[in-house]
Amino acid sequence: MRALEFNDVSFTYKGSGSKALEGVSFAVNKGEFITLLGRNGSGKSTICLMSNGLIPHALPGALEGAVRIFGQEVRERSVAEFSKSVGIVFQEPESQLFCMSVEEEVAFGPENLAVPREEIGDRVEWALELVGMKGFNDRSPFSLSGGEKQRVAIAAALSMRPEMLVLDEPAYALDPVGRFELYSVLKELKQKHGMTVVLAERDPEEAVAFSDRLLLLEDGKIAGVGATRNVLRDPQKLSSLGIAPPQLSELAALLNSRLPGESFSFLSVEEAERTLSEDFFAQGRARRA
Amino acid sequence: MTVFVDLYTDADTFLHRLDPRVKIVAVVLLSLLALIIGNLVHLLVLLAFVLLLLALGRATLSKTVFALKFVFRIMVMIVVLWPIFDPSGTPVLAELGPVKITEPAIWKGVAMAVRVCCLATVWYILMFTTSQRDLVRGLVKLGLRFDFGLALAIALRFIPTFGVTVESITDAQRARGLELDKGAPLRRSKNYVAVLVPTIVSALRTADMLSLALQSRAYGARPDRTYLRDLKMRWTDALALAVVVTIFAIPAIAKYLLDASL
Repeated sequence: MRALEFNDVSFTYKGSGSKALEGVSFAVNKGEFITLLGRNGSGKSTICLMSNGLIPHALPGALEGAVRIFGQEVRERSVAEFSKSVGIVFQEPESQLFCMSVEEEVAFGPENLAVPREEIGDRVEWALELVGMKGFNDRSPFSLSGGEKQRVAIAAALSMRPEMLVLDEPAYALDPVGRFELYSVLKELKQKHGMTVVLAERDPEEAVAFSDRLLLLEDGKIAGVGATRNVLRDPQKLSSLGIAPPQLSELAALLNSRLPGESFSFLSVEEAERTLSEDFFAQGRARRA
Repeated sequence: MTVFVDLYTDADTFLHRLDPRVKIVAVVLLSLLALIIGNLVHLLVLLAFVLLLLALGRATLSKTVFALKFVFRIMVMIVVLWPIFDPSGTPVLAELGPVKITEPAIWKGVAMAVRVCCLATVWYILMFTTSQRDLVRGLVKLGLRFDFGLALAIALRFIPTFGVTVESITDAQRARGLELDKGAPLRRSKNYVAVLVPTIVSALRTADMLSLALQSRAYGARPDRTYLRDLKMRWTDALALAVVVTIFAIPAIAKYLLDASL
């Protein structure tokens, strides 16, 4: 069973003249980290909102095709039911935290699911620890920084023990420090916890280091999909879709174009450093010697 | 934050530790008491008791003055205006055309001012010894529907957020040349439309997002919702409640019997 399956999905928001999604088909396997890339209006948010049933249940419109979330057709279950298996984090840090303390915020989901009290306490501590917000229990969400707010939003989703986490441009309103904090948490979720993650982004700089696959979107249609490394071999394609290519893939493309025979591809600074110092510069030194 | 000041003051006193339910019930009873008794001496006794509570909660003078400044003004107005508009009783102390100043009216005005002071102080004690979180929790435990409690909590939680929104919109409009403090009153209020409209739009957008966030977190999934933190009545809470009920009951019953015998 797949975590998420879109089969020829088209969607038009109620009152809108144009399709937000058109003929979109893709699937996410359990444990996979997939990053959706595209400019504003490319359909990233629509896919995110469909992944836990907010579309079509809370945001009505004309939905064609089949969306399956852990095997369940999206129209046949309520958002509350999907919330047990899918956690979602939105763009705006301020408007998705509505409780008067961090602890209440993280406990809100499990409380609604009538989880026993002791277990809620354990889950709150576990989730806050995971996102690096331990000890912030009694703080008001209003008093937190953007990065802290988004990490609390992640903890609030994780405390419901979902199998899949969906994040709709979570770094949108964050400063560089906030971005760094957020991506450290996402990296840990992928590498230590094997969480299934669907991430929508406009700037893939950090996410490519641990995304299994990239899905490119343009005007509600899929413009490309594949393993992260393969998609990044063509940085110009990303640029043409309005996505800033990661600096490392631009570097690799530049090296490859200047050095016939080389086919570099870097997903992280560490990888670039290792490859270049071991292979490339070593060969150069050998040649000069 | 200039737009809103949360009256709650963090401290570890008997009043702060008291179960919020007991505090809410106590405040309602003491308010009723202030409304029932009309005798100035009795009201002064009640005021003394309320001020004792204020001291027990270790209220700081500056914050108390800040919170009750408005009430002091109203008290002065009552003391001044009551005798002017109440010509009842004798002896008449002064007479100026249709205005008759009588001695009982002066005392009535003072009593009314003390009553207002009691009411305001009692509620102020509740607000400065109880965090908003405990207040909402207490109301829900006293029988307020959970969704109403949540709405109240969200309203309180978003007051500072909207304060920030209003500030930044005001700054943005000022940067574009909007002069909010200039011109005649009508013109000035017209200028505020430029702040009001974006604020309302922003509020509606936030409300939309909130509804999505609430649904995504299984809001309303089950009627038998659990709570991480529960309120527990300790013997001190029970004792405090008993004391307040007694303080309320004795004058209330006395007043009832008195009224019945007349």
